[in-house]
Formats: sequence, C-alpha cells, structure tokens
Amino acid sequence: MSVYKHYCSILMSVFAIFACMGKLCAQDILVTATVDQNILTLNDQLKLTLTIHGTQDTAHPSFPAIEGFTLLYGPSISAQEFNINGAVSVRKSYTYVLQPSAKGKFTIGPSTLEYKGKVYSSQPLKVEVVDMPRSSDAQAQNLEKLVFVELSVDKHEAYVYEQIVLSFKFYFQKGLPVGDIDYTAPATKSFMEEKLGDQRQYEEIRDGIVYNVLELRTALFPMMSGELTISAAKVKCNLIVRQQRDRRNTPSDSFFSDAFFDDFFGREQKRYPIERTTDSITLKVKPLPEEGKPKEFKGAVGAFHMEVSTQSQHVKVGDPITLSMSVYGEGNIQTIHEPVLIINKENDFKVYPSESTTQITNREEVIRGRKVFSKVIEPQKPDLKYAPAIVFSFFDPHAGQYKTITKEPIPITVEAGEQEVPIQLTLSHNNVIPAKHQVQLLTEDILPIMTNLAALRNQGNPVYRNPYIAGFLFIPAVVVITSLLLSRHNDRLTSDIGYARTRRAHAMAKKRLEEARSMLRQNSPAEFFSCLSKAVSDYLADKFNIPPASATEDKVVSLLQQRGIKDDVIEDVSRCFTDYDHRRFSKDSGTVDEMARSLKLAEELITKMERQLS
Amino acid sequence: MMIRLRVLFLFLLPFLDCGISSAHSGSLKSEIQNPESGISRDEAVKLCAEANEKYLQAMKLIASKSIPEADQKLKEATDLYETALTGGFRNGQIYYNLGNTYYRRGELGKAIVNYRRAERLMPRNADINANLRLAKGSTKDKELSTEIPAVIKRIFFWLFFLNRNELSLVAISLYVVLMAILFFSTIRRYAGMKKLSIGFSSILFVVIVSFGIKIYLEQGVHYGVIVTSECEVRYGPGEEYEPKFEIHNGAECVIEDEKDDWYRVYVKVGVKRGAGSETGVGEKASREVRRGWLQKKYVDLI
Repeated sequence: MSVYKHYCSILMSVFAIFACMGKLCAQDILVTATVDQNILTLNDQLKLTLTIHGTQDTAHPSFPAIEGFTLLYGPSISAQEFNINGAVSVRKSYTYVLQPSAKGKFTIGPSTLEYKGKVYSSQPLKVEVVDMPRSSDAQAQNLEKLVFVELSVDKHEAYVYEQIVLSFKFYFQKGLPVGDIDYTAPATKSFMEEKLGDQRQYEEIRDGIVYNVLELRTALFPMMSGELTISAAKVKCNLIVRQQRDRRNTPSDSFFSDAFFDDFFGREQKRYPIERTTDSITLKVKPLPEEGKPKEFKGAVGAFHMEVSTQSQHVKVGDPITLSMSVYGEGNIQTIHEPVLIINKENDFKVYPSESTTQITNREEVIRGRKVFSKVIEPQKPDLKYAPAIVFSFFDPHAGQYKTITKEPIPITVEAGEQEVPIQLTLSHNNVIPAKHQVQLLTEDILPIMTNLAALRNQGNPVYRNPYIAGFLFIPAVVVITSLLLSRHNDRLTSDIGYARTRRAHAMAKKRLEEARSMLRQNSPAEFFSCLSKAVSDYLADKFNIPPASATEDKVVSLLQQRGIKDDVIEDVSRCFTDYDHRRFSKDSGTVDEMARSLKLAEELITKMERQLS
Repeated sequence: MMIRLRVLFLFLLPFLDCGISSAHSGSLKSEIQNPESGISRDEAVKLCAEANEKYLQAMKLIASKSIPEADQKLKEATDLYETALTGGFRNGQIYYNLGNTYYRRGELGKAIVNYRRAERLMPRNADINANLRLAKGSTKDKELSTEIPAVIKRIFFWLFFLNRNELSLVAISLYVVLMAILFFSTIRRYAGMKKLSIGFSSILFVVIVSFGIKIYLEQGVHYGVIVTSECEVRYGPGEEYEPKFEIHNGAECVIEDEKDDWYRVYVKVGVKRGAGSETGVGEKASREVRRGWLQKKYVDLI
C-alpha cells in the first residue's frame, strides 16, 4: 500500500513538472529593446539591451541596424527567472555597449528572433546624439526624464455618484536610487473616495527606457454635478548618490576600497531633493437624467444585482419572517438604499425597519461589494400566500439608463395564530396561586396641562443679571475688606512698636505743641522751649523708632538725610535744635512774639516732615 | 496666603456677572433668553387662564370626536400661549402647556422644543419629563444628540436638579454666608471659624463652577429641534450642494455655525442615506456623528 502511495506521489510530481513546463512553453514570446539613455553626447556610451521574454531556449536575436554608432563590445548575456505568486516567468538579456560616431537623430532598427518557425521582432528606438558639453538646461531636462509623475482618470465625463478611478503614477528610471518618497494626495473636494487596492509596483518601457513605476489608485464618486476639479498631486523624494571617500595612495587602500568595507562603514551619501507635481484634472459631471426615473429609485448608481431569501416560509399569524435582501455589484456600496417592498394591502404585513451590513468584496480594479438588508415582516392574516415582491432601482452609467430589478414574491404559508387566553378578572376558588401579570399599558398619552396659575411668575429674568443684586454683591465684599484692613491695623498697633510710634508720632507732637502753647500763654519761656524741643525731638524719635534720649541733632540729621528729606527741612530741624537748646538754657529767651513765631515754625516743620516721612 | 485667597473669593462672584453678560451677547439667541417683559403678571395669568380653558374645551371636543372644532380650539390656545411668551413672560408652565398643545396638533418638533424650554425652567418637574419622553418616542430619529448619561446626572445631581436662577440664588446665599463668616472672623476669633470659612469657600467654588457649566450648556452650546416633517441636511450652505442625509420632525441637533439662512449642525440621530430610503445604514453607522448644513427655517432653537 505504501509503495503504491510512493509511486502515486512520484507520478503526481512528474505531472506537476510537466504542467509547469507546459506553462513555460505556453508563455507568449516577446522581444524588447531598451537603452539606458536616449539623449547622449559623443563622449557617452549607449547601453542597448535586447530582452527575450518567455523563453531562454533561443538563438541570439539579430543585432539591429544602427546608424551613427559603433559596437564597442557585447553582447553580455544574462538569464533571469522569476516566480511571482506561483507564476513563473523567464527572460534572457543581451547587452551591447555602443559608441556614437556622429551627432544627430538616429533610429535603432528592430531586432528579430526566429523561434519555432515564428519570427518575433522588437520595437524600433529613437536616440539623439548631441554636442558636448550638455548645458545645465539639458541636464535638467534629462533629470525630468529620469523621474516624473502622472495623474490620470479612467474617464473625463461621468454621472453624479458614478465610480471614477483616479490613478497616480510615479516613474523613475530603473536602477535610479530614489528614497524618502513623500506623497501628497490631490484634494478631492466634492467627491467621496475609497482606496483601491495596495500600492502597485511594476516596470514600464517608455521611449526605449525602462522605468520602475509606483502606482496608487483611488475610486472617486462625484457628489454634485458640474465641472469638478481634482487638484494636482505632489511627490517629494531624494535622489541618493553614494560618493567615494578621498582616496590616498596608501598600501591599505586596495584592501579598504573593497565594496564590503564601503557598505560596512558607509560611503558618504548625498541626497538631491526632487519635487514633482502633476497637472490638475477637470471632470465634467452630469446630473442623473429625470427621464425614465423609476419611483423606487433612491440614488444608487452603478451596476448591481439583487438576491432575496428567507429562512422561514411556514409561519403563524404574527410570527416574524426575515427577508434577506442582498444587493451586490460595482459602485458606491455605502450609499445603496434599501429595496422597496410592494405590499398590496397595508394591513397584510407589519413591517419593521431593516438592519444592514456593508461589505466591500473587491477593491482591486474598481469598488465591488455587497450590502445585505435584513428586514422583518409579520403576516397579519392567515390566508396570505406570498411575501411582498421586492423592487430595487438603480442608474447604470454604462448603459446611461435606469434599471429596475424586481424579485417575484416568495411563496409562504401562514397559519392562524393561537387564541390568547383572556385575562381572568375574578379569582378562582381553587387553591391555585394566580399567575402574576404585568400591568398592561392600554394607551400612551401625554399628561394634562398645568393649571396652577398662582405659581405663575416670570422666570425669564435671570436673578444674576439684576443690576441691584449685582451691586449688592459688592457690599459684603467691601465690608469684609474694610474690616480686614482695620483688624490688621489694630493688630500691628499692638504688636509692632515701631509701627505704633510712627502712626502716633504726629498726634503726640501736636499734643506737646499744645502744651507749649499753654506755656506761651503763661509766659514761661524755659518750659515753653523745653516743650518745643521735646515735641520736635520726640516726634523724630517716634518716626525713626529710636529712644528719645538718642534723638540728638547729629543723629537726627543723619537719619533725615538717609530718608532723603529735603535739605531746607534738615537745616530747619538743625536750627531748631540749636535755637531751642540755646533759649532753654540762656537768659535770652526772646519776646513773646518771637516765642509765638518759634511755635508756628515748629508746627510748620512737623507738618512738612509728616508729609515727607509718611 | 490665606488672606489673598479670601480676597480672591470676594471678588470672584461679583465679577462672574460680567462673564455671564458677555455670554448673553452670543450671536444665536435662544427663546428663553429675552429678559424684557412687555406684559404684566396679571395679563399673563389672564392669557394663560383663557388658553388653558380653550385647551380643556378642545380635549372635550376630541373625546366627542369633533376633531375640526377641537383643532380650532387648540389653535386658539396656541396663539394665547404664544402671545404671553412673545410678550416676554417666560414660565415653565406656559412652555409645557404650549408643548402639549403642539403635541395635540401633531407638531412633534415644536412640542419637543417647548418641553425642552420648560425643562430648563422647571428641571424637577416629572410631568415635563414624561411628556418629553413620550414625544421623543414618537419621532423617527430616536438617537438623541443632547442626552446626558444618567450616571453623570446622578453624580452632579445639583446641576440637573436646579435651574439657572435657583443655582444663582444658592451661590448668592453661600456668598453672603461666607462673607458673614469672614467678617465675624475678623472681629472675633472664634475657634473653628477658619475651617468653616474654608468649607463654605469650597462649596461656593463648586456652585460657581456648576453655575458656569449650566450657563455654558444652556447658552454656550446651541441646541435645535427639527420642526418640519422631513429635512435634508446638505454638504454645504446652499441648495446647490447635494443632500447628505435626512432628519425628521423632532430630531435634536447641535448647531455649530451659521451662514446666511443656513445652520451647520451635527446630529447623532438614526440617519437615512441616499434620497429618502427607509433606513439605509447599519446600526453602527447610524450612531455616528454626522455634520451638515440645513436651512434655518427648519430648526427651532431651544
């Protein structure tokens, strides 16, 4: 048995190999001719590659007729085999290096290949040989040809909500080191958009040059009619060029110039930023035609099909039947509306709102998907034979007309429902505990109006916007702030002697001046000047918080100077001290008028100092 | 530091009024926001008594199946209630009764607007809540955009238990008590005064913040109700823009912006896709927030 299995497996393997070979043999043969550049100078060399796709078992393709070039060397032959997702492809390349011998425009003729009796030929190529040196403009033009972008749509005229495929292609010459690609998508205002598939990468030959292409595709659905513009797409990337380090002729150079070390230590990379912008695209979007619009049409645009099914076809009156309505096809799946049920008599079925699920099944080429509506209906009569017919209308933009899909009614069998047990209003005499019923809500209605007119007052005037209340709010704040300040003042008067002496200095000085005035009236010069001297010195001692005995003329003058008091005041103070002491202790006490003048001067001096010291 | 905090609190409440005044000067004015009263209380009572009488007569006519006469009475009652309200006399009872009148006349959107206005003025009234729920249950779009979760309502109960005026009165009372405590604490140093003032300051702070939130919810965010049977919400402010979805009578929306005769709104209602299908989207999609523009004439501000 095991031997039999072994033979079977060998046999299957052989079949598989032959099948693969058959597949290889069955591949189409294609001959292509490509060049590395199609504008070059007399000093450049042209690399021409002839590639045979589809087989490796062939003779050399004929060398094409080339004017203005001489063959330097070649061909160098390479064979490649690819296996992409199980699909095997082979190709064989013949590369020639050519030297231009004259300037001008030349055509590289087709190369031919004979294989199994058939002749295959490549496309002719155009090459231009120009004068050297190339100008910077020409270099820039050449760079434009190396990297470029294209934005295209599959159609420039469409209906509202019709699917349009927007394709952005980024071309860069094969082998060109491009990195840091930053893509800015075009603004698609007035469109709904869905991404189409993953980024595609492939090769494409343009003017004989092989390009790597990165392609991004999006499905757009215009939401309004008129001329709509898709703005330009932009791509930024860096051309990465590796630069050789400075070479010094040291014995180690030959060793370290090896590619392995270059890769390991990293040669200097220079990045040339490149920015490419596409053209914007203007689309003409037509409104959906009014002519022939079915009444069931609710805005679906595309190519759709519908399937309808139900799980239960034998039901009782009032039992639910779930209709599964699946609309699928190509178009904007999200906006597919629910198919319409055609109910002949309104009371035949009770219809509930449907639930829907949306699934995009294919987004490779265009958006395809399925939207399934689950709708519950309840037959209300026992003699019903069919579920309602189902109709779905959509606009087919390819045909340019409305289409309606009608699904014939599904046959059903409806039996009469069970009779409901009437509510027993009287209690049974049996010793059976009666079943508890929920209170049945007979009808639902709003509660009656409010009629308490006594409570009617205007609630539209916000209390907080009343200016009197707003004003009132400040009063407690002012009272509390005032009481706080007073309280702090009193606390300081009791706890801070310096503060208390300063605050009371003026009052005390006034008191002493009053005493001096009474001495003046009694004509007691010694006591009078003693009072005056005490008034001034004690005032200053209080103000500077120093003991009264320390309030000498020198000390006071120095303190006044420190406080920045004006010089004339300081001189007056100094004069007062000298004058009062002189008059107190000498017999020259002066006349009454002079004493009165001294009193007045002392009063003015204390007032001045009070102003300047406070 | 303590004194500075106290002084800050002293100034907090009086200056709040300035903020509220500026909040009132927003571009959109809700119905309750007009403080000018053109009619006296007696006139308003007279109008309401008459309107109530008409409404009760209409109820009797409905019971006796005299529908056209009942409709006429309801219309008269509506006019009388509207007269009292447009005269500047705002009262929760009148809004509630007007809501009932509109409900009876089949104008669900206007009924809901008036119940909502009544609810703002009388937040503890169970009748308003019951009628509002019933009216909302009769609408096509049952997903509410303005509904606040019950848990939040339980936690911040005072915010939903008191109306604006009541909340402001609580704040003023607390403020006065706090001031009194501070005053006594300056003249007599009783033990515990400090703790008491801190406690009252904290409560006052919470109440003032709640008051600010209340003002924001009622005037900073503009809610509207659809008062037409079917309303197309478009991609832009104009008829030239394609319809995006439809909402129906009684659906509540939040107004974000306005331009000419259009409001930019967002809704969380069960929306219909396409041009008028029954329910074109799945349940998940129907709960998404959807924005768009609709004409002002289709919306009444709460």
